[in-house]
Amino acid sequence: MPKVTINGTEIEVDKGKSILRAAAEAGYDVPHFCYHPALSAPANCRMCLVEIEGVPKLQPGCYSQINDGMVVHTESERVVKARKAVLEFILLNHPVDCPICDQAGECKLQDYYIDYDAQESRVRTEKQNKVKAYPIGPEVVYDGERCILCTRCIRFCQEVTQTDELTIVERGDRAEIRAFPGRELDNNYSMCTVDICPVGALTARDFRFKCRVWLLTSTDSVCTGCSNGCNIHLDHFRNEVQRYRPRYNPEVNDYWMCDEGRLSYKSVHTDRQTEPKVNGATVNWHALAQAVADKLGKVEDPSQIALVISPQATCEDIFLAKRFGEETLGGVQFYLGGKLSGDSDEFLIKADKNPNTRGIEAVFGGTDSLKSFDDLLADMESGAISVLYMSGTDTPCDAETRERFVGLLDGLKLFLHQSPHAGEFADKAHIILPSCTHAEKDGTFINFDGVAQPIYQAFAGYGRSIPDWQIFLRLARAMKKPFDYTFLTQIQEEMFAASQAPEPEPEPEPEAGDDESSAPPPAE
Amino acid sequence: MPDIIVTLLNLGVVQILLIVFVFVMGLASMMTLLGDRKQSAKIQNRVGPNRARLPFINHPLLGIPHFLADGIKMVLKENIVPDGANKTLHLIAPGLVFLPALVAWAAVPFMDTYCAGEMLIDTATWTETCQGEEHRWFQIMNFNSGLLYGFAIASISVYGAAIAGWASNSNFSLLGGLRSSAQMVSYEVSLGLSLAGVLMIYGTLDMNEMVRQQGYLIGDWLPMWGIVVQPVAFFLFFLAGMAETKRAPFDLPEGESEIVAGYITEYSSMKFAVMQLGEYVATVFIAALIAILFLGGWQVPWLFADGFHFGSTVIELPYWLVIILRIGAMCGKVVLLVWLQFMMRWTLPRFRYDQVMTLGWKILLPLSLANLVVTAFIMALF
Amino acid sequence: MAKHEVKQVERVEPGLWEKSYIPEIARGLKVTIGHFLNNLRPNKEKHTTFTREYPDVPTDYYPDRFRGLHRLMLRDDGQVRCVACMCCSTICPANCIHIEAAEHDDPAIEKYPAVFVIDELRCIVCGLCVEACPCDAIRMDSGVHAHPFTDRGEAFLNRDLLMEMGGLSMAKQGGER
Repeated sequence: MPKVTINGTEIEVDKGKSILRAAAEAGYDVPHFCYHPALSAPANCRMCLVEIEGVPKLQPGCYSQINDGMVVHTESERVVKARKAVLEFILLNHPVDCPICDQAGECKLQDYYIDYDAQESRVRTEKQNKVKAYPIGPEVVYDGERCILCTRCIRFCQEVTQTDELTIVERGDRAEIRAFPGRELDNNYSMCTVDICPVGALTARDFRFKCRVWLLTSTDSVCTGCSNGCNIHLDHFRNEVQRYRPRYNPEVNDYWMCDEGRLSYKSVHTDRQTEPKVNGATVNWHALAQAVADKLGKVEDPSQIALVISPQATCEDIFLAKRFGEETLGGVQFYLGGKLSGDSDEFLIKADKNPNTRGIEAVFGGTDSLKSFDDLLADMESGAISVLYMSGTDTPCDAETRERFVGLLDGLKLFLHQSPHAGEFADKAHIILPSCTHAEKDGTFINFDGVAQPIYQAFAGYGRSIPDWQIFLRLARAMKKPFDYTFLTQIQEEMFAASQAPEPEPEPEPEAGDDESSAPPPAE
Repeated sequence: MPDIIVTLLNLGVVQILLIVFVFVMGLASMMTLLGDRKQSAKIQNRVGPNRARLPFINHPLLGIPHFLADGIKMVLKENIVPDGANKTLHLIAPGLVFLPALVAWAAVPFMDTYCAGEMLIDTATWTETCQGEEHRWFQIMNFNSGLLYGFAIASISVYGAAIAGWASNSNFSLLGGLRSSAQMVSYEVSLGLSLAGVLMIYGTLDMNEMVRQQGYLIGDWLPMWGIVVQPVAFFLFFLAGMAETKRAPFDLPEGESEIVAGYITEYSSMKFAVMQLGEYVATVFIAALIAILFLGGWQVPWLFADGFHFGSTVIELPYWLVIILRIGAMCGKVVLLVWLQFMMRWTLPRFRYDQVMTLGWKILLPLSLANLVVTAFIMALF
Repeated sequence: MAKHEVKQVERVEPGLWEKSYIPEIARGLKVTIGHFLNNLRPNKEKHTTFTREYPDVPTDYYPDRFRGLHRLMLRDDGQVRCVACMCCSTICPANCIHIEAAEHDDPAIEKYPAVFVIDELRCIVCGLCVEACPCDAIRMDSGVHAHPFTDRGEAFLNRDLLMEMGGLSMAKQGGER
């Protein structure tokens, strides 16, 4: 392996590595705009210029490969001077509208300006006027004045999604990013361009002006949009999810996530049911648990009870639901709920829109012991099922069947609805058990590939909603058959032992020279 | 004078009403407002209470509506008894503080006995002798040991404070009760001893008799008040008396910076008000004692039953006017002394507890003993 | 050990006369009684009372650095200068500024505060919002004394109210352009 000396530190790196990556391995951060670890290196921003001994001119660190015996300086006087010059050049026509810009706070230009430039503008002429708030795509807004033309977004569309929507038009200081004529930035991953944009040129229409990034708190979580289980930063402010950002995980989603999943955070705040209710009357959890215990205790034949397991729930919730149905109630019928399958592609979007189908398989040892949703409808029609305990609002069926299902609910003796969302069941349910969304609880999801991934609680539950596993603990206690758990970790230990599922691996460390998209936003 | 009035006066009900309820209670409760708040405000360049208004009168009226509002508030407030407090004793304690302070007033003379007959003035000894029936109308009860009675009754209130501290089941209250009992017991010693010299000179325990003797004019011009013949005792008594009433600068039992409010901490509502009022009544009582013992009580200088005597000139006055002047003098002296006590309160910083004890035992007690010895020598020599 | 310069001060031992406190008490009483009598004088002009009976009597005295209520500055055409950057609400130690940003029709302005509310009861008048403002949009120099509130809601000054107190700023909006 070649040996290089970077700022006096001698390290061995793999052949063919760029100087920028080698410097990162040696512990030196080389500033860069256009370079992104998942994209090719065009070396057009000139920010990563480094000094190589024996080479007369400064070389771009992202593009130049290391050679054996190379001696590199990334912090020498020449380099620092060059950076300052590059920054001044980039800022020539920059509007410096940081107060308006959504990127302010996580902007590389801001950071590098403070670190390397920190001088007033010497420009005395008019700045170049370019397009402002240009809708370059349905989800993305482009600001030409802020753009530093690093072409990250163009390369993303070329190399990652391979849809080739974007290009640079015009030349010199009139150059701008545009979609090709007749096209727009409308691929399924278009909002990733917002993440990788080092400045505020591309902003998400959804997050635009919503919240300043320095106010956000970031919690590591997993997207629940489909079974791919993309790792995300769940950015929230004042008990509200403001946005999802992809979190680097080379085994699952690399640096990316789809637009649909990114906007799925809205479900956390829509149609929530927040108060435990018995027959329409708001009660506290204790009274509710007593009522449930009373009513379920009166059911003579447990096989009349249908327990719908939702693959939207975490493994811990499913594990406790199974134990509740098998041990506390004894011999209930399990049915599989969840969402209907949808579109898929070959990159990240999976057809199974439930984040934890593999979790059910792991807990129940396959899905054979669960009946399908169609069976539930049939059983309800035949009268074999008179008590329905439904977790989750989703049903794996088309709209017509769902209508039929909702109509059948009226014939039930008892209908318990345990979900964060009300759906059409608010009036139908005899007992409403409000539970938390994934943003409000800890837990584990197993994605389509069998990777178990932890999610963490970002903020307290809405209203008086509590996590599903706590609901089951309360119900079991009220039915005088309490589980021996207090903490989620106790459930996890037992669950992993029972299912032999792999324990969630520790977070993979972001690769060297990683991008800002996986770095947490500055703490409040 | 109509018989019915004479009968009523002989019953003593009118005296009790006039003295205790009108004068003492009136003065004491006004002190809570004017003395404690308005006077302090004037001293400290503030305005004091002026926000409350009576209906239809858009004027602060010296802040008197505040005092009414305070009373209403006190009555309407919830009476809180702390958990674990001894309920009976907690209830009794305010009474034990308040009642003795009122009962002690029985012996205080506001004027000499009413003489139904002729008054003889002996200008050689400057004494008045009544030729006819005498009525004690300006004193609630007739005591020939009034001073002893006053002291005996007043010292009962120490039990009130101690019991209040103990019964409240609070450490602050307990500390306050202990401090207060220690302080009151310590100062009662010098309070009593400083009076021994005065008693030697007057040779009586009857308060009215003491005041009568202070009408004597030394060298036919200087009234023989207690402050003239016993100046040291006056200062000692004034100091010890202030300490006895637990008012600033001797308000250690309530030192709010250390023990919240001392033995009153756990009291609320009217019980709290009664505790406070008891203190004010005691203040007025001490003022009355000082007036009687040292400032000539109801005596107006050079005024006798038939008028003013300036040397040989006599300005004749009717007897009823003399009575009014004398009652007015007594009341005026009490009010002035109360005012002075409040002035002291807003002037001096609070003592430290050890300083209070040092002052009581190491300074006041030896001084009062010395005063006693010197007085005895002088009495024995002349 | 380092040598310190020690200044010896003679302890002034009070004499017997001072120890008796009587002269000191008399001096103290002189001061307090002096104030008492002075403030009892019928001529109120001669009183040394410091109390200001606000709001019955409007105050005539303000400290040199009195700032008054906030105000929002205006653009040349009368629109609000604020671009809803949230710097003020971020720096505000009392959390009294609430801003909701919205997209402006004019792409040159781009962002403006649809809601801008200051809770004047929470405000601690530190002036950090003014220092944080990059646009000279918020100022605390109106000199308007907060009027007494009878209802908590009255203390929430909204954008239009704050703009009424505002004026034009000499600073150029949006940097050199």
